[in-house]
Amino acid sequence: MRHQVKYFMLALAAFAMAALLSGCSQGNTIRIGTQTFSEPKILAQMYRLLIEDRTDLKVEVMPDLATSSVVLDAIKNNDIQMGTLYTGIIFDNYFPFEMTKDRGQVLKQAQAGFDQYYGLKWYDPYGFENTYAFTVRKELAEQEHLQKISDVRPKAASMRLGVDTSWLEREGDGYPAFQKTYGITFGKTYPMEVALVYNAVASQKMDIVLAYSTDARLKEYGLVTLEDDQHFFPPYDASPVIGKQVLSEHPELNEIIGLLVGKIDAETMIALNYEVDVNKRNEKKVAEEYLRKIGLLK
Amino acid sequence: MELFIRYIGENWADLLVLTYQHIVMVLLGLALALAAGVPLGIAASRHRTLGKVILTVANIIQVFPSLALLVLLMIVFGLGSTTVVIGLFLYSLLPVIRNTYVGLTQVSPTLLEAGRGVGMSPMQILINVQLPLALPFILTGIRVAAVIAIGVATIAPLVGGSGLGREIYAGINMDNPARLYAGAIPAALLALLADLALGRLHRTVKFGK
Amino acid sequence: MSAWLANYAAFLSDRQADIWTALREHIVICLIAVLFGAVIAIPVGMLLAGNRKGWLNGLVFTIANILQTVPSLALLAILIPVLGIGRTPAIFALFLYSLMPIMRNTFAGFQAVDPNVIEAARGMGYSTAQRLLQIQLPLAFPYIMSGLRVTTVYIISWATLATLIGAGGLGQLIFSGMGVNKKELIVTGALLAVLLALLADFVLGLAEKWVTVRTKSAPAAGTETAG
Repeated sequence: MRHQVKYFMLALAAFAMAALLSGCSQGNTIRIGTQTFSEPKILAQMYRLLIEDRTDLKVEVMPDLATSSVVLDAIKNNDIQMGTLYTGIIFDNYFPFEMTKDRGQVLKQAQAGFDQYYGLKWYDPYGFENTYAFTVRKELAEQEHLQKISDVRPKAASMRLGVDTSWLEREGDGYPAFQKTYGITFGKTYPMEVALVYNAVASQKMDIVLAYSTDARLKEYGLVTLEDDQHFFPPYDASPVIGKQVLSEHPELNEIIGLLVGKIDAETMIALNYEVDVNKRNEKKVAEEYLRKIGLLK
Repeated sequence: MELFIRYIGENWADLLVLTYQHIVMVLLGLALALAAGVPLGIAASRHRTLGKVILTVANIIQVFPSLALLVLLMIVFGLGSTTVVIGLFLYSLLPVIRNTYVGLTQVSPTLLEAGRGVGMSPMQILINVQLPLALPFILTGIRVAAVIAIGVATIAPLVGGSGLGREIYAGINMDNPARLYAGAIPAALLALLADLALGRLHRTVKFGK
Repeated sequence: MSAWLANYAAFLSDRQADIWTALREHIVICLIAVLFGAVIAIPVGMLLAGNRKGWLNGLVFTIANILQTVPSLALLAILIPVLGIGRTPAIFALFLYSLMPIMRNTFAGFQAVDPNVIEAARGMGYSTAQRLLQIQLPLAFPYIMSGLRVTTVYIISWATLATLIGAGGLGQLIFSGMGVNKKELIVTGALLAVLLALLADFVLGLAEKWVTVRTKSAPAAGTETAG
């Protein structure tokens, strides 16, 4: 019996060695980090397939990083090398920026600022914007005549607001700034995983939620988004980003990243999101199918 | 239910990979805990005061909420499975140390006397008498540590680690119960399997004398 | 160093409302879960210790063991589609988790009572209820305390995950902090959770020792569980 256990221990040790060693070959692995919602995950899988198909590099996707902020910091620390980010993020004071809501200006600042302060290359957008959208049930909108965010003000104090896990904390484009601009304070705020807000508002667990505009569930659940009449939210064009260090080590990535730049419009993205969020499919399969369909993958 | 079956059908290969990653992280953490924990347990059994210190420190580590510990480790070591393995190592320490300690100290003094009587050195007594007799206890420690580690490893993705937790989080984050179960059920089965297998091994070792 | 401390102090006073709320929510969730767990598990443990039906004991303990072995996140996750999000589902999940340690320790405690003592009590005319409450329960108490201690620490730890389903608590500070990369928020949430767990372990450990000395029984071995 002692021998059995000895062998067990030896096997354990050998296994551990092997695993450790295999983990050490990280030089040729590109890590793509994503936030917790489906959209960047689909895009990350697309890049994984493209990179592994066209180069010898291995790609690992690190999904469900808490928010864009974590993704950003992770790229800066070289914990991950690539990601998808949205231009409006410059409003959260990552570097000194000029307060403008002009789409072109915001993009330029994002590209220049993150290059300088974070050492990453911010590419031109995929071709769609995913912005915050205050959302209510159609019935409530009709009942209370809600079309613009300002329409909510008289009722706000009695409303339950569902938001993602970071909006309450964000600086330039978060709740505190929103309260100042609109003069609206909600009765109670409930941070939760953003995927849960759609069902929450549709089933009346929440009165109003802050959703993402390219989510397919907005249409699927018959929800209504309110117009940002005070133009509080900046633009949020989506772009791929990559750490400059890894780009210089592997310049071939530049062309591959470019394959999706300017090629995905809002309608396409919503349709892809639909496959994952409504049809509940795995984003890997959805990404693969799409790339084959448009001929980028054989 | 059928969504679950369909999801498994479409993605079983990926799920196997995640299971493998999960197991690797756990094994690494356990191996490190054994490498450090058994010697520490031995030391604790030989020196009373040192033993108290070692056990107290290990106890304190155990009390740390897993999420808090992993997050604090992440701030120091960054994202990734390495950080998770460090966390698993820390959590596996107490069961290993304590059970080694208990296993060694419960050896009957008569046997120790006998060993000394036939001229064994303390080291020889340790290796030939105490450790073999302590083995069942150490195995229990590994078993407890394994179950704990498998559980803690499920929150690995929060700090960039891999494993079945990825599917659980994907399921939670994307409001996809099928996916959630695709991650949770294998994780649960893994833990139960480890508990059973190591329990059986323990019985074999204990009663096979 | 002092500048950093000053910074942190400023941050703390700035956010203290949120921090207090999170701490309060966390404590409430844990208290309710452990209390409900104790209310169910202690009587069940007592009953099981007293009865002869081996199969029933086996069944109950097997179920409880399974619930304990299953990773907490997995259990929490499995309950989400069933119970939905919010404090109640979180409390229920944590309650399920608290059953095993308390029940097991109660069972062990009652089993450890010297049968001679019980016989003597019966001989002296104690009714079953009197025997249970006045003789066995006090003697089993150190074991029960040990179970409560282990469970409380355990529940405090896993309650940090409850924030994933909108239950608030200290985990909320951690996740929000991760969300906007405010390390102070992350560390504060994490440290408070650690301190709370250590405090509970210490205080309940003292209570356990006190009870043990009072009833002069051997303290039960704690079951190791992950924080």
